[in-house]
Amino acid sequence: MTVLEQTRAPRSEAARRRRSPLGSRWTPYVFLAPAAAFIILFQGVPLAQEIYLSFTRTSLLNPTRSTWVGLENYAHIFGDDDFRRTLRTTLVYVVACVAGSVGSGLLVALLLNRNFRGRGIARALVTVPWAAPGIAVALIATWMLNPQYGIVNRFLNAIGLGVPGGTILDSPTYALPAILVTTIWQLFPLTSVVLLSALQAVPKDLTEAATMDGAGRWWTFRAVTWQVIKPTVGLLALLMTIWSIRRFELIWLMTKGGPVGSTETLVIDLYAQAFDSKQLGTAAAIGMVGVVISLIVIAGSRLVARGAAKEGLR
Amino acid sequence: MNRLHIGLTLRIVAVLAVMGIAVFPLYWMFVTALSSDADLFASEARLWPDFSQFGVFVDALAEGETVRWLRNSLVIAVGTTAMSIGLGIPLGYALSRFSFRGKVLTTVVLLLTQMLPEALMVVPLFSLFNRFDLLDSLIGLILANSAFVLPIVALILKGAIDGIPRELEEAGRVDGARPLTMLVRINVPLIAPSIAAAAVIAFFHAWNEFVFAVTFIYAPETQPASVGIASFIGEVGTPVQTVMAVAFMFTLPAVAFYLFAQKYVVAGMTAGAVKG
Repeated sequence: MTVLEQTRAPRSEAARRRRSPLGSRWTPYVFLAPAAAFIILFQGVPLAQEIYLSFTRTSLLNPTRSTWVGLENYAHIFGDDDFRRTLRTTLVYVVACVAGSVGSGLLVALLLNRNFRGRGIARALVTVPWAAPGIAVALIATWMLNPQYGIVNRFLNAIGLGVPGGTILDSPTYALPAILVTTIWQLFPLTSVVLLSALQAVPKDLTEAATMDGAGRWWTFRAVTWQVIKPTVGLLALLMTIWSIRRFELIWLMTKGGPVGSTETLVIDLYAQAFDSKQLGTAAAIGMVGVVISLIVIAGSRLVARGAAKEGLR
Repeated sequence: MNRLHIGLTLRIVAVLAVMGIAVFPLYWMFVTALSSDADLFASEARLWPDFSQFGVFVDALAEGETVRWLRNSLVIAVGTTAMSIGLGIPLGYALSRFSFRGKVLTTVVLLLTQMLPEALMVVPLFSLFNRFDLLDSLIGLILANSAFVLPIVALILKGAIDGIPRELEEAGRVDGARPLTMLVRINVPLIAPSIAAAAVIAFFHAWNEFVFAVTFIYAPETQPASVGIASFIGEVGTPVQTVMAVAFMFTLPAVAFYLFAQKYVVAGMTAGAVKG
């Protein structure tokens, strides 16, 4: 919005700036140039290269020699059962990450959105997981899930819910849920902090009035609170979706996509194709699928947001 | 009255539970590092640290490896922070204060970089760095990390400059100050908290970064801690206690720094997410 407003800045001001000998119309480009050059060199050029690679057969062992193969890589991956499983796993992973992180973040935010003694400490401690490095998280999670000595298995056994043999990360059934729990543990601080600040914007007198009128908690939440925080929830969901499509580290460090591909998302598949199978063309095509999915999600969310805005006017 | 008490109790229990869930894995890292072999592999888990085992931290630090890892991580993180802030301030200023052709495009491109997976960009960056002799170099990692964190930094700073009244600059303009002077003298001091937030986010990003580091670095001398610690995975020679001690020493600065700068980071994250 701010972008639009400023493009339509009053003419007089623009004219004055042009007349000023110190702020010529090239000034913004001078400020912009270093960063733009940087982003073009380290993001734009590599992206263009990947797009090109996705239409070629190229080996990691000899990356300067590529053979143009047109859409062959795309035809190959979409005809591949393993890739379809990868897409399904990615879908499950992304949906669970988004629902889990936004849902838990909202619960925690509602919990902390009250005045109580020690609230500052609670807020600080709750956001600690966000600051923990992924590699350290992967290590402690793997150790906690250790079949014999891991605290998680000891606990599950004690309450009678133990997994046979305790092999959680080696089980095609339990590995993905374990990774999801770990990922959501790292994400909920961010979502809860952002939602907590959105909750500050909820008018207190409105919720109080609703409660006075005898409205239930749930009704008050839906009619007042939810309406205020809805845009933030939508934005967070979008951000979490895009980030989850590209998230690599935790899965790679905890399972490398295994066992039997049960935790293999698009980026894991892409990395394995590039560095284990040495097929840079296939890897690039897989990456492009991820990028296109993200683009569709972004475009879709804009449409939904616009629709919601129209509905609000009616 | 009674119902109110139950509700309050439930709330306290829930808050404590969430705090426990948030902190427990890090606590457990600490406890595991400070466990004797007997406690670690006993049939009953020992739930508190055994401080007589504190030597594990001293030993880990005495071995040159750990210190070198942490030092390399620090160099990368500080370099990335300086680079992304240095480039992000002018970019944020241009986006906030000027109207020019390509402005909307620039903003959209900055947002779209958020969806590019590191795992995808690692191959072309590898060949680019290979050509410029930047593989196995901390400078290469600083450049790659800065490119990935710069868009977020720039958007946070743009939001901050948006919040500063233009009148302050108008006064400077009358005095004949150049745009760069106005940026440095007027805007930068006023957005210092947001610069701090962006700096912390850039620092974390680089301190924690793994994919680029593991692909671009092979010499032990240039390894940052994320890669060094990852080399413990699947390796059986190093005792669990040592692994956890090193991981904890890698985690602690990040968490401590975060808690110290928390107020700024939260403001920055919130502004970034809400405006992004």
